[in-house]
Amino acid sequence: MTANRDRHGLPLEGVRVADITVVWAGPHVTQLLGEWGADIVRVEPVNRIQPYSRGAERIMPREQAKRLAAAGAAAAGTPGYPDDDPREDPWNRSASFNSHARNKRSMACDVMSPEGREAFMRLIERSDVFVENNVPATIERAGITYEQLRERNPRIIVLRMPAYGLSGPYKNYRGFGTHVEGMIGHHHLRGYPDMTPEATGEAFTADAMAGVMGALAVTMALRHRNRTGQGQQIEMPLAEAFLPVLGQPILDYTMNGRVAPPQGNGHPWRAPHGVYRCAGDDQWIAIDVGSDEAFGALCRVLGDDALAADARFATPEGRWEHTAALDAALGERTATWDKSALFHALQAAGVTAAPVHDELEALADPQLNARGFFEQLDGPSTGLQTYPGLLFHLRDTPNRLRTPPVRLGEHNEEIYLDLLGYSREEYDALAAKGLIGTRYPPALLAAPGASG
Amino acid sequence: MTELLEGIRVLDLTSNVAGPFATKLLADYGADVLKVEPPDGDAARREPPFFHDEPHPEKSALFLHLNTNKRSVTLNLEQAEAREIVSRLAADADVVVEDFAPGRLDGWGLGWEQLTAGRDDLVLASITAFGQSGPYRDYLASEITLQAMGGPLHLNGTAEREPLKLAGHVAHYHAGAAAALAIMLTRLRVEMGGAGDHIDLAVYECQAGFRDRRTVFLTHAAYTGRAMHRPPAGSRFLSGVRPTPDGYVNLLVAAPRHLDEFLALIGRADLAGHPEFRKTVVDMSPDFAAEVEGAYLAWLMSSSKQEALAATQAIGILGGAILTTEDLVRDPHYRERGAWETIDHPMTGPVEYPGRQLILSETPRAQARRAPLLGEHNREVFGDRLGYSDEQLGRLRAQGVI
Repeated sequence: MTANRDRHGLPLEGVRVADITVVWAGPHVTQLLGEWGADIVRVEPVNRIQPYSRGAERIMPREQAKRLAAAGAAAAGTPGYPDDDPREDPWNRSASFNSHARNKRSMACDVMSPEGREAFMRLIERSDVFVENNVPATIERAGITYEQLRERNPRIIVLRMPAYGLSGPYKNYRGFGTHVEGMIGHHHLRGYPDMTPEATGEAFTADAMAGVMGALAVTMALRHRNRTGQGQQIEMPLAEAFLPVLGQPILDYTMNGRVAPPQGNGHPWRAPHGVYRCAGDDQWIAIDVGSDEAFGALCRVLGDDALAADARFATPEGRWEHTAALDAALGERTATWDKSALFHALQAAGVTAAPVHDELEALADPQLNARGFFEQLDGPSTGLQTYPGLLFHLRDTPNRLRTPPVRLGEHNEEIYLDLLGYSREEYDALAAKGLIGTRYPPALLAAPGASG
Repeated sequence: MTELLEGIRVLDLTSNVAGPFATKLLADYGADVLKVEPPDGDAARREPPFFHDEPHPEKSALFLHLNTNKRSVTLNLEQAEAREIVSRLAADADVVVEDFAPGRLDGWGLGWEQLTAGRDDLVLASITAFGQSGPYRDYLASEITLQAMGGPLHLNGTAEREPLKLAGHVAHYHAGAAAALAIMLTRLRVEMGGAGDHIDLAVYECQAGFRDRRTVFLTHAAYTGRAMHRPPAGSRFLSGVRPTPDGYVNLLVAAPRHLDEFLALIGRADLAGHPEFRKTVVDMSPDFAAEVEGAYLAWLMSSSKQEALAATQAIGILGGAILTTEDLVRDPHYRERGAWETIDHPMTGPVEYPGRQLILSETPRAQARRAPLLGEHNREVFGDRLGYSDEQLGRLRAQGVI
């Protein structure tokens, strides 16, 4: 890490990150670090398929994706290749993977093999940070320990983010963010108050939080290393990174012994506060009223004198006490409105409201587009496509996404030969063994079954 | 013991959740955070639940949780003299964090231009709903409306019902963590000889960049032209939430490599290799699917949620249990790992809080100090540091400045 030449350069220029992350949370950490200038080197096997990462364990033909989409199959039912076409390299075309894979480099390397482990260790010697989010047993099987990493690079900062931690009864429990979310009490809290959690559906909030928290942890540790020269290992389980988000219900339990019930769209003291039906199929608006003035304005916009005159709804306490009746009455009235028209009418009247936006509406949103949130990236495997951009802006540091989603093994040569100092002969030998390449062996690639 | 953020001075003008969570993260790992509250306090002090359900500005669970390790002074920024004091405090700060409506700080003479007069190393973080620019800049927003328009709210819940928000203040916590990241990135640059900057962080954009399904499905939609929908409850074969006698589990059984072991586990080894399993979900015989699901549910009803989880984990199936807050706080795993921390407070006595998120091998986080009482550090900061006499402080109090 060298001092910035440009006083307004990207803060992480010159920081190299060795990345053996999988699925959603770990890759989000390196996405965020890459966006602010770090050189992310994704270390991924090409001789075997890393499950739930590039989607290669489940390649879906175009016709099948179209059929599933037409049948309205469950939310994550299709892989989301551009135009649903897997083409010859579906692992470079997965929407889930490509949504985080900008600004990264990829080297084919299987850390489970002795050759791969040595290449990885050479990368560690040339890196500032190492990030991984595998089940601890996997990293143990690869024989990667902090002690060994530190031997090869005493200044290395290691971020380990297993689901539940490097110790404890759940240490090797396997799960996605949605399972972690259940195991820390969020799934229970976000349900319908009058239905079981079976109706709640899955969310991956733990991945979102852990991604940001992990990038923060690395940045804080880099700061400490700049001052002291000291690297360190940071253990940040997904579960524990999410715990502070639930501080309020947790303290309600530890202070008052109260077990918070599912909260639905309700608010502890404000009403109306909810999501109300609008005209059209599955169209909704969120409305949050915190004062008598706002309630009066809401009634005026809806043109409803009866609602405004109803004694039950005359005070904040009354509205909260009669939430169910109020929600039902409001829902009847909003159901004839176009959600966008109602949104602007309510905002003009001083009422906090917003339409529920699906992904296509978000892509067309005037605010996000006015601020340049979406960016376009062109790559040989995907063509020119639109991607969600940065979480925040720095006024004097213009920043854009730099490179398109990284393809499997795209940077093999420059990393092995230029960065790690392998000879061409050594490189060719690893390629001949199937440890370096840009495609998975055809024998591993199967069409999905019912269970996919 | 050295802490990660030792020596960083933060002036915190924020309230509620996003800003205070950002500065809590900084304070918990060693930054010196001075919280400026209006004379009636951060709005979070008025948010229930309260300790023993007694409404009181020092007893709000949310406030106590979000403001550990900070000091508190009170200032009424509507008054010129208070703004002058803020300006002096900002001159001594490395980082200023604010969450006022766009333009408000400029109107008070405390904007980017004024705060950076004569220096270029300041990190100013502005946290707003929609950002400092754009057509919705001045629109009103709250947790539920930001999740609705910005995030994946439309996917939460079941197709038969209205979509659901995520619990509590998730969008604002997430934005707060992102603000802490933005602050530390910029501060890192300053400490390496670079310039400070003005961070423009919109909770709305943080929701649009939310890794919880939003970025994934925005990319999916951009690639395919299709939006996502809420699935009907229980519609995913061998996947999702299912009941047990003492609660619920959420298991992803439907991975082919675990199927035979799973079928043996639920007493239907006879179905291993059945041709129906090779069909796609939409082509599978409903009777066959019902038969498998029936055996699965019967097996689940024969054990507790933790037993079902342990048994499926043992054969490599991904999953979890649906814990209540009580399950969570009592859970042996988190307890054994020391995820909780007891913090004493004059109004509540010792109470357990969520503790460290990070286990740091070289710079372990110190025991947290309790949230400050409202204006607890007025004398220390205004008197000892800025040199106001007792008499002057009395006048400022009488005039409603502090």
